Amino acid sequence: MNTGPYLDEKVQKFIEEQFIPLKSQCFWDRPTDLMKRFDIKWTPTFLIHDSEGKEHHRVVGYVPADDFLSQLGLGKGKVFFNTERFAEAIAQFQTVIEQHPNAGATPEAIFFLGVAGYKHTHDPKALRRAWDTLSSKYPQNEWTRRAEAYSEIPL
Amino acid sequence: MVEIKWERNFDAAVEKAKRSRKPIFQDFWFDG
Repeated sequence: MNTGPYLDEKVQKFIEEQFIPLKSQCFWDRPTDLMKRFDIKWTPTFLIHDSEGKEHHRVVGYVPADDFLSQLGLGKGKVFFNTERFAEAIAQFQTVIEQHPNAGATPEAIFFLGVAGYKHTHDPKALRRAWDTLSSKYPQNEWTRRAEAYSEIPL
Repeated sequence: MVEIKWERNFDAAVEKAKRSRKPIFQDFWFDG
């Protein structure tokens, strides 16, 4: 049965097409091995793992569909990034930024787009561009403050 | 309407992920 975030057709389609979907029931009075393994303390907790089962992204609590889709896209991008598939990470972060400009995960996607761009090309201008985008569009965001060190990089 | 086909076993999901090279989306839920 599809409930909560899964009522949204775009969410259903994205999960079914882009991921291997896995549901794990929680029991607070007798925590399961998976709850212990992934340190689950609240529900819903959504994890995104690579194809070896290693966690790369976590969302706790329900968020609206657009935010949820951006978190799913960000998580997929972080799997690519953390496994050094930088070209795929860049494409994935760009998709999140373009499709979900007002979503909560987007500033983090911009930050990691800059870092992935730098790691892929060794050109520090990618970091500066991330700062420029973050400071102009999301001046109050934590990810903007994290990128502030890149503001001195010349373009 | 696309219906999500949920896997319930972690190891089976990993095997599917390895074959498909897709990441895994895991929902920890509580039926309270």
